[in-house]
Amino acid sequence: MKKKKLMALFLAGTMVLSLAACGGGKSSEESSEATSSDENTLTVAAWDPSFNIPALQAAAEDYKANVNPDFVLEIKEQSGSADIETAITTAASAGNYETLPDIVLFQDHWFANYYANYPDAWQDINDADVKWDDFSQEKLGYSTIDGKHFGMPVDNGAVITAYRVDLLEECGYTIDDMTGITWDEFIEIGKVVKEKTGKYLMCMDGDGNDLVYLMLQAEGVSQFKDGKPYIVGNDTLKEVVQTIVKMAQEGVLLLSNSWSDYTDQAIQGDQVAGVMNGNWIIPTMEKVEANSGKWEITTMPTLTGAEGYASNGGASLYITANCKKTDLAKDFLAYTFGGSTATYDKALTDGGVISCYAPAGESDVYNQGVVFFNDQPIYAKIVEMGTHVQTIEQSDYHYTCRTQIAAAIINIINGGNIDDELQLAEDQLNHEMGN
Amino acid sequence: MEKKRGLTLLQKQSRAGWIFLTPATVLIAVMSFWPMISAFLMSLKTGSSANMQWNQPIFNNYVRMFSDKLFLRSVGNTFLYLIIQVPIMLVLAILLAQLLNNRDLKFKGFFRTCVFLPCATALVSYSLIFKSLFATEGLINTILVNLGILSQNYNFLGNPTSAKAVIIIALIWRWTGYNMVFYLAGLQNIEYSVYEAAKIDGANGWKTFWGITVPLLKPTIIMTFIMSINGTLQLFDESVNLTNGGPANSTITMSHYIYNNTFGTGVANFGYATAMAFFVFIMVGILALINMKVGDTRD
Repeated sequence: MKKKKLMALFLAGTMVLSLAACGGGKSSEESSEATSSDENTLTVAAWDPSFNIPALQAAAEDYKANVNPDFVLEIKEQSGSADIETAITTAASAGNYETLPDIVLFQDHWFANYYANYPDAWQDINDADVKWDDFSQEKLGYSTIDGKHFGMPVDNGAVITAYRVDLLEECGYTIDDMTGITWDEFIEIGKVVKEKTGKYLMCMDGDGNDLVYLMLQAEGVSQFKDGKPYIVGNDTLKEVVQTIVKMAQEGVLLLSNSWSDYTDQAIQGDQVAGVMNGNWIIPTMEKVEANSGKWEITTMPTLTGAEGYASNGGASLYITANCKKTDLAKDFLAYTFGGSTATYDKALTDGGVISCYAPAGESDVYNQGVVFFNDQPIYAKIVEMGTHVQTIEQSDYHYTCRTQIAAAIINIINGGNIDDELQLAEDQLNHEMGN
Repeated sequence: MEKKRGLTLLQKQSRAGWIFLTPATVLIAVMSFWPMISAFLMSLKTGSSANMQWNQPIFNNYVRMFSDKLFLRSVGNTFLYLIIQVPIMLVLAILLAQLLNNRDLKFKGFFRTCVFLPCATALVSYSLIFKSLFATEGLINTILVNLGILSQNYNFLGNPTSAKAVIIIALIWRWTGYNMVFYLAGLQNIEYSVYEAAKIDGANGWKTFWGITVPLLKPTIIMTFIMSINGTLQLFDESVNLTNGGPANSTITMSHYIYNNTFGTGVANFGYATAMAFFVFIMVGILALINMKVGDTRD
């Protein structure tokens, strides 16, 4: 009897133990995967196999060939930038950073907010051997906190406004007619294009509507003022929203239901004669091979008719708290993205990643004509346009603001009152900011 | 040791029972009850999840949600789905069950499988299929335009009203068969002789349905009601995958909004999100209680 009891207890005990062992075993396995114990190996998490991952591969090859022959860069491909944001949130909430790779690619607009919430998750790279003055200051603004550099810029968010020149020609316009125009003139041209070709002259994701931010930046105006939302009473913003609503109602602007509808149906579904977004949209446009040679790029229309410049999105590389080989990581970043034209040239040819490092724009690769864009040397032009972007007040709540104003725009298109909707957007934004 | 105090057989059995129960009890307490308690404590806190602070005043998160227009809208949306979708679905399910319970029906198994089959599809995949069906360039639009019902493609998911309708249609398609199975099982428990007796007394089909089927199915109906209410209040996959809450947050559900406050968009606000989750929990509890009181047949 007693033996049986002991046996039962023993079995129950082993069951519990084996369960515990399962949990423990798994987590230790994962943490050993996150970083490597080899002193010449760095791990990095990134998300776009046709854009930023080729750029990282180019940098790894460059560093291996010219600095450290034993260097290995393990790239952990994620399905999207949100995966890395979630990884930071969970690691920081648990107070255990072992699950993070040495370096992460992180969206610029989010960084300040994640730094404010999880300051211990990051390591600064202020003392890395980099000439910071050679970078676009607008871009560096996102990754610099209290005067300390945290991020190494990879790409360039300069906005391109691309048009199908063949369709414009059909309607009697040239790319020069689209340069330095007002939005009202743009709408008039858009109506003609829609009527004659059936295509929209502008498109955007209606849920994550970047147009407001882009159009405002081209005017040098922000949605924030002194850290507070600046929506109600911001006449430029109201005019921009009115313009967007008018474009949508006149059939000039196609507002897709989601980001994937925007890329897959609007752009790749060949429904549009114009695209305006950060230049990282180019690989998406290039997937429609039939339209090769029919596109050209220029600057943005503005409310006043001056040539508009803006910047949208983009990401930088950040060293996480889990990185033990900080010197290697800093040296790698400083050598490659901090000033190697070899890295940038290959990143451009393999992934279409355009630098915001000014000297990179002088290399031959950047000045070649691009077949898809009618042999226009677009890369040099994009680097050049990037230097004109005005720095406007940024906020940790950039995307929250974008979501609220996007909702307001959809409601206005569906018959809502513009002042009420903007007031609602500002109230909701204030609520989320805790004001 | 055995000399010190002998246990009776009953005591021994009882002790053995407790020993067998202990592992499961400990596991449930650690894995389920402890997280619930710590979640409640978290709902009283605020700030970055790496360094959470107690709220001042302590119930601030709970007060805050009632001034959050977006949360109130998500509550409204969820209740709209609940009020429209659940009755339609349950009525359809009971009618289908009645049809498929017919003794003279041929290929019964085939039809039953057909109606139940939607339940075998994963929530995410069926949401994505509905999304592509109702896309502006999708199948439904092509059919309606070719039939001449619509003059040009309509953006179903881009209009607040039609987007809600699409979600409701999707929900009905997905869950009717599931509830029908419960009704079928309930119907098979009703003695056929009861129906025969009613027939002899001259009751028609309509009267039999209301006089016999519905009262005898009452426990099943209440159960499906509670399950459907519970399921609808926690609606998530359809809102995320079919419309992503849009357009302009007009289709967002409570669970989706809670998710957006954790991992969905931006920096996590776990305290506020947990408080909202507790609010949903309380609502589910109250609705289930009302339902059970209403359906209580004991005198």
